[in-house]
Amino acid sequence: MKLFLYISSFIIVCLAPFMGEINLDFNEIFNTSSTTYTIFWDLRVSRVVLAFFVGGILALGGLIFQIIFKNQLITPYTLGIASGTTLFTAISIVFFPAMYMPISSVMGSLVTILILYFISKQINKSSIAVSTNSILLIGIALSYFYSSALMLVFYMSNLQENYSIVRFTLGSLDTVGFTSALIIMAVSVIFYAVIYSNKEKIKLLLICNDTAFLKGLNVHKINLILLIVVSLSVGVCISFVGPIGFIGLVVPHIIKLIYKQSADKLFFPVFFFGGIFLVFSDLISRNLNTDSSLPIGVVTAFIGAPFFVYLLVRRSKVK
Amino acid sequence: MLEINNYNSEILHNISFSLKENENLIILGENGAGKSTLAKVLSNLITNNKVQLFHEEIDKINDLKRAQLINYIPPKLSIFDEYVTLKEFLELSTIENVNNEKIDNLIKVLKLEKLKDRYCKAFSSGEKQLLLLASSIMHDAKITIFDELTANLDISRLKEVFDIFNSDLLKQKIIITHNLDLAYALKFKILFLKDGKIEFFGEHDEFFSNENLKKFYNNTILKLDKHLVVNL
Repeated sequence: MKLFLYISSFIIVCLAPFMGEINLDFNEIFNTSSTTYTIFWDLRVSRVVLAFFVGGILALGGLIFQIIFKNQLITPYTLGIASGTTLFTAISIVFFPAMYMPISSVMGSLVTILILYFISKQINKSSIAVSTNSILLIGIALSYFYSSALMLVFYMSNLQENYSIVRFTLGSLDTVGFTSALIIMAVSVIFYAVIYSNKEKIKLLLICNDTAFLKGLNVHKINLILLIVVSLSVGVCISFVGPIGFIGLVVPHIIKLIYKQSADKLFFPVFFFGGIFLVFSDLISRNLNTDSSLPIGVVTAFIGAPFFVYLLVRRSKVK
Repeated sequence: MLEINNYNSEILHNISFSLKENENLIILGENGAGKSTLAKVLSNLITNNKVQLFHEEIDKINDLKRAQLINYIPPKLSIFDEYVTLKEFLELSTIENVNNEKIDNLIKVLKLEKLKDRYCKAFSSGEKQLLLLASSIMHDAKITIFDELTANLDISRLKEVFDIFNSDLLKQKIIITHNLDLAYALKFKILFLKDGKIEFFGEHDEFFSNENLKKFYNNTILKLDKHLVVNL
């Protein structure tokens, strides 16, 4: 099963740059003066690289969030980080057009997660455990707040700004050249390194917060470090490609079901197959017979939402 | 060496007592008397500054050192990840370098070989409690607090746990239990809690006199020929 997955992912990655609206001639790829060369390298390959690393960050970020909050259903999206980022981006589109957009997006994700963490800590002050139920509820409340605030921003924006906000929320992996891909790649290297270097501590968090505390781990500190690193990385991703949902939820679950190992051994597979999942979704979105490519958020949600429901049903059966 | 001075909260009132080094203790009391809360205070899971461990305030000891001094074993194994195996759990229970030989030995002593590579989350309640006991031995803190460890064990397993409690495999022990036979047989010091107050703190023989049993258990427990009998 694992070998099959790795082989098919390899095939997907190899095929991905060749399939698209314009058919490419294989012989022209290395001919620097042809249009094929430009399309292949600057549009397609850079897009695949971007998709791979964004997918990896979103999937591994989902896994880490599930470990911190001890809940299988929590991802940066269900907690309202995506809506926070969207709102801050919309605000910067409408009110501060001169500002570099990614900065406000990253701010949005960071502000959201810090609000969540400190409110939930306030709720159970003397205890080590973060109550996952209360944090999920606060996340939902925040999401509602953000979406109504987004409505307000929509209401105050003109037609063109309105259009750019909608385009942003749909999510898009459109990219020209390698700048975005390289930035995201650098972010994911740092992101992965931080998580990997804290592997032993994350292992203890897999049991429960109380146990981790009794084994001498500073639970608050490690939780805070991980939360900030994940939210920053996810925030950067969102600022480049828009909110792409469900990867952080779907991929860790599938990988757990296939590997049947504790989460600390799954960092690499989750990151890798998260990337492949997004490359694959992007491949579908570009190759359906429509006038232009489908928004990527639509494709991942179409695959992800039914799976989410399936997981809920299965979970209640197991209990 | 453990000392608590005048601890007060919504559940516990006026809690003060002290234990010398290597002095074991049994905590008894009705449901809701505050036994588990007291254990969490002693292990700083409920943050406080009234507990002194080896002459240092518990709040001020650094995390790793506190872990070496005191450990709390909860009544139920709570584990988030579905795929942690017994062996991995025991590796995680060690706070210093992992000693594989010790783990294998312990698995043999507790007769857990069959479970070695199975997922902890799927264990039965009794198996989970044995796992917790094994984990406390791997952790090997100076003081270990057990909260209702024996609740789901069958009689032969109970005897094994008793033997471990009675041996010097673990250093200083504080045992919370409802099992009076166990408490009676262990001959440790006794602390009896009622409604968050310490009603009795003293020697084993004094607590298990017929007079005190009558006082604390309303005639439901009698001592006949060195055995405790429940009188329903």
